[in-house]
Amino acid sequence: MIARKPLIATDRAALILQLVPYLIAKGEVSITEAADEFEVTDAQMRTMVQTLTVIGRPGDGGYWQMPNDLFDIDWELLDQHDLISITNSVGLERSPKLTAREAAALLTGLQLARAIPGVGGTEVFNGLLSKLARGASSTPADVILAPAPVDAVRDAVAEALRRGVAVSFTYKAPDAAPTTRTVDPIKVLIATGEWYLQGWCHLREAMRTFHLDRVSDLELTDIAIEHGQDPVPEWFESGTGDIVARIRFPESVAPLLGDYLDRATVETVGGVSTATMRVADEYSLRRLAGRRAGVVEIIEPEPARHAAAAWAEAGLAQYG
Amino acid sequence: MKNPPEERLVNLVVALVATEQGLTKDTILTSVSGYREQSEAGASKDALEKMFERDKENLRGLGVPIETIGDWADPDDLREARYRVPTAEYELPEDIEFTPAELALLNLAGGVWSESSMSAEARGGLRKIRALGIAVDEPIIGYSPRISLREPSFAPLQQAIEQSQVATFDYLKPGEGAPRLRRVQPLALIEYEGRWHVYGIDLAAAADRTFLLSRIVNDVTTTRDTFDPALRDGAGERALAGLEDVAARNRALLEVNPGTEAALRLSRRAQPAEQGIHVHYVDVHVFADELASYGPEVRVVEPAQLRDQVIARLEATRDVHGGTA
Repeated sequence: MIARKPLIATDRAALILQLVPYLIAKGEVSITEAADEFEVTDAQMRTMVQTLTVIGRPGDGGYWQMPNDLFDIDWELLDQHDLISITNSVGLERSPKLTAREAAALLTGLQLARAIPGVGGTEVFNGLLSKLARGASSTPADVILAPAPVDAVRDAVAEALRRGVAVSFTYKAPDAAPTTRTVDPIKVLIATGEWYLQGWCHLREAMRTFHLDRVSDLELTDIAIEHGQDPVPEWFESGTGDIVARIRFPESVAPLLGDYLDRATVETVGGVSTATMRVADEYSLRRLAGRRAGVVEIIEPEPARHAAAAWAEAGLAQYG
Repeated sequence: MKNPPEERLVNLVVALVATEQGLTKDTILTSVSGYREQSEAGASKDALEKMFERDKENLRGLGVPIETIGDWADPDDLREARYRVPTAEYELPEDIEFTPAELALLNLAGGVWSESSMSAEARGGLRKIRALGIAVDEPIIGYSPRISLREPSFAPLQQAIEQSQVATFDYLKPGEGAPRLRRVQPLALIEYEGRWHVYGIDLAAAADRTFLLSRIVNDVTTTRDTFDPALRDGAGERALAGLEDVAARNRALLEVNPGTEAALRLSRRAQPAEQGIHVHYVDVHVFADELASYGPEVRVVEPAQLRDQVIARLEATRDVHGGTA
């Protein structure tokens, strides 16, 4: 559910401009459905519709507007059935062009969608790119995603999803021995170029998320998936680990820590921040400390702190 | 009672779309509802004109193309100027239709922005497209792509690109003690290996440069200096080609312990070498950050600069955690 923020007058004007073509296309629509579409409350939608009925063409030669110069709705439908239906329209019937930024947001999203094997062909994408370019009120800024390298594992997972069959593979989780898994694929999460497979793990008999970079020897099986309708966990189940960790870092570094801090409790005193969060394994903590070397300090748990120092030392020992 | 401003704004759009030859400011202020009431109530002409200017700017910000038709003999004389919104510029072109399959793909594309401000933009764009009354296809299931966008500099840089305006920001290069102010004609934003960059012309260097947004250490300021929008043509492709060029030149020779996280994560980017693997990289500091995070799982053979950077990081990590003594 998207939070419904208060709107300023310009936002409300933008919504009314979009509301007219929407209502005309719908013919008749409930207050609630329209409110959902425009991400406003039912009361805000009712106000918007009422506002619409005082909008119209200017009167001729200084005269006040005639009724047919104004938008009008079926008031009885609205008052008695909470339904909106436009009975007189004075313009704005077709959707406005997209703003440059709206077009850019969709164009960039398409680049990511394009990386998914089997989703839309080149022709469909090129057609959409040109339609969005022509449908924008000014030239969108180029917002480019560099294409990710092609990968046999990703292709195979996409194929398994398409065919609805389980996959088997070797999984190497950090700090653990490799295991062989058979998984009903349900969803692929794609974030910052990395792919995660969510699915029903036959070994654990539960929903699990697998980082595809840690997957090898993946093969399609002939086993039809059985758990395709089961609910999958929330997008990232960060903050659900067993280990309570505390890290310290200069406040200015926080943006570089990305989603580590999403579920953390952060306290900042004198420009130094301390974050407390739950993590699944010490390995990821160590990697975070190593990546932000000397800047991020693991305070707790104590063994993880020592492990980080020992790990760095072991790294140094290679250079003699 | 004063009418809410959105009424006046939408009335203005209706009036400007309805006119072919355009309306003068006087006509607008005395006839368009919202202005007319205030005119009749005795508001000063000056105040009304200011309101009109502000409304015009706000509407243009929404993408409403308000055209000013000036005096042909003296284009700078706006006293008798007429204003209009050409329907062809305002509406989605009549010949643009979307198939249900295209709409399904756009829905997937619009959902990638998670919590960033681009998410609202994508949803707004989709709403306009849906209002064309397109039948809805089955949604594309099985995939949940996300673009992560945390850098506060992204939005002002995007706006500067749209408006072809010079932007300035403080940029902290690793190894330099203090940030330096950069003046840039920004041309494109690009995500490469999960990091956002802005590509543009650095005015001090008079050359193309690519900046990591994570190294911009203050708020981006947009200046009044503009540049030729034609510079933006093909900028995204030039930016990508530039980064790929840099990556092609920078090649590390690494030894990785098989079966480790390092081996798994690096292998997708690696080519086998006689002993170890070759991995190309764009930025020595960013790559050193990643390699240092693998600790003893990877050893840098060459280049020396990368090796030294990794060693310095490992030492810092060891020392900040109390050493091993």
